[in-house]
Amino acid sequence: MNDHLILKKDHTLSLLRRLMREHRLVAPLRNRHGDTLFSEVEDLAGAELDLEHQPQASLKPFLFPQQETMFRYRLDGEGGYRFEPPEPGRPLLFFGVRACDLSAVLYLDVIFSKRGRDPYYFARRRDSLLISLACNQPFANCFCNSAKTGPFLEYGFDLQLTDLGDRYLVEVGRARGAELVGRWRHFFTPAEEADRKAQYQALLESRSHFQRQVHLEQAIRRLQADEPLPEELWAGLSRRCQDCGGCAYVCPTCTCFTITDQQITATEGLRQRSWDACTFGGFTRLAGGHNPVDPGREAVRQRFLHKLLYDVREHGRPSCVGCGRCVGICFGGVDIVRFIDLVCEVRQ
Amino acid sequence: MTDNGNPYLPHPARILRVREENSQIKSFELAFTDPERHRAFTYRPGQFVMVSVPHGGEAPISISSSPTRPGRLTLSVRKAGRLTAALHRMAEGELVGLRGPYGRPFPVEELRGRDLIFVAGGIGLAPLASVVNLCLDRREEYGQLTVLYGSRSPADIAFRDELEGWRRAGVKCLLTVDQGGEGWTGQVGLVTTLFAQISPDPGRSSALICGPPVMFRFVAAELTRLGLSDQDIVTTLERHMKCGLGVCRHCHLGPKLVCAHGPVFTLAELRGLREAELA
Repeated sequence: MNDHLILKKDHTLSLLRRLMREHRLVAPLRNRHGDTLFSEVEDLAGAELDLEHQPQASLKPFLFPQQETMFRYRLDGEGGYRFEPPEPGRPLLFFGVRACDLSAVLYLDVIFSKRGRDPYYFARRRDSLLISLACNQPFANCFCNSAKTGPFLEYGFDLQLTDLGDRYLVEVGRARGAELVGRWRHFFTPAEEADRKAQYQALLESRSHFQRQVHLEQAIRRLQADEPLPEELWAGLSRRCQDCGGCAYVCPTCTCFTITDQQITATEGLRQRSWDACTFGGFTRLAGGHNPVDPGREAVRQRFLHKLLYDVREHGRPSCVGCGRCVGICFGGVDIVRFIDLVCEVRQ
Repeated sequence: MTDNGNPYLPHPARILRVREENSQIKSFELAFTDPERHRAFTYRPGQFVMVSVPHGGEAPISISSSPTRPGRLTLSVRKAGRLTAALHRMAEGELVGLRGPYGRPFPVEELRGRDLIFVAGGIGLAPLASVVNLCLDRREEYGQLTVLYGSRSPADIAFRDELEGWRRAGVKCLLTVDQGGEGWTGQVGLVTTLFAQISPDPGRSSALICGPPVMFRFVAAELTRLGLSDQDIVTTLERHMKCGLGVCRHCHLGPKLVCAHGPVFTLAELRGLREAELA
């Protein structure tokens, strides 16, 4: 099969409607407050699909929810102390996913495969479909060009769409994408040479539109050098951190979590997993109060080094995908771009 | 989702016996309610389990019994926070949940043939007890065994039955207390003061240490002074932990995770890790 196809924009909603029979559709929707967020689409006709703005949050909440029930537990007298996991929901279809967010999902796949596959994550991920949208126009804080995760993808998607005006050029990635195109082939026509040229042109133009110059590789090289960064750099950033966790929450690759029990009755409750953030002052605090990390001087250290040094050592690439969301959310100005800039300024 | 596919699934275990070690520490002997699971459960000294307490969540607790005594599963727990306080209120016959065992154990195979110096403060003796008992059960495989144990006061000396048993078996057990009291004729001072009473051969000695960070720093310095190399100084670390599987990252030491890379580390491995609190 030709792996470059054309999908007319007029046909897109009708294709999505077909796919919604078997999948829960998640796409960027503009809500009544004017915010664009990935949301589950209940009624495609009434929803305002927004492919113009960057969704404020990533796909993370749909694969690794901010809070989820791991087990319902029951204590039944003599009988026991039983833990029952919830039933998985219907498969997910993600539409309109940008290159950075999809790259982040590939990282989540690795993290949640460590030491046994995470059953909760993979129950959602396993049968999911990812239809990405190449970024013809990067947003103000974007630096995926520097993180090498975009603006267009080379792999990882099931289908990648490139906006060519009245139509999308469709690239077929994984087997599941080929299956989708095969099953709904009347929606697609073969792409012409001119379409592929138009896509290449779009890619070149997109690359020239980045507003930020972020020297991620230079910062990584500096971190890999044995010489430690000045203490004052860490302390200065940590002082500005307001302990809100916003960076970790909007970050598509931050996966720290906590687990707590929520009692419902004397004999029943829920064991829940929730997002956590290594920037929180109590993240490493032990029962009894001792804390091996000094939040006053080291609040942001683990977050930046994990993404830009430890993950480079362990996985061969940083786990910052350059989406720029932390730049927009941090009111203390302690985002990763600030850190990268500071590291690049340090004299070796 | 099947049982085997979910690494977070706790299995019910019954509290068979509770022993009060001191006002802060209790030892719980446990058995999985499923006899098949109990028989099949194996672990190595230094490993830990995640313990669920009804409505209280989970916490990592090291195993203090020895795998050389099959069927035994003992956890010694200091009352330190909400979960451990709830556990202390539980009685024989009640149920907890267990998953594991997790973590890198003490290198008991590599330590064969060596003289072992165990240094612990307070609850720190719990994970080391597992190794001492293993060595006693394979007595001919190990050299001289010495236990240096520090407690706050004579009343705080825990694991008395265990210590007495080790003494009878020929283990040199030296005790000290931070503050003496009426009737106490033994050593007073930090655990490092006991080093004056031993003269290990650094070429054939390894040390296993467990205690608070400040104790570890001073003990490690003392052992270094006696000529032990960083590879022969082994410790086990306690950290806040949620998953035990290397994912939640609460127990990080910068690039390393205590649950997955440890909890047992040599001093050589901890050098340069800021969160190891060596400085």
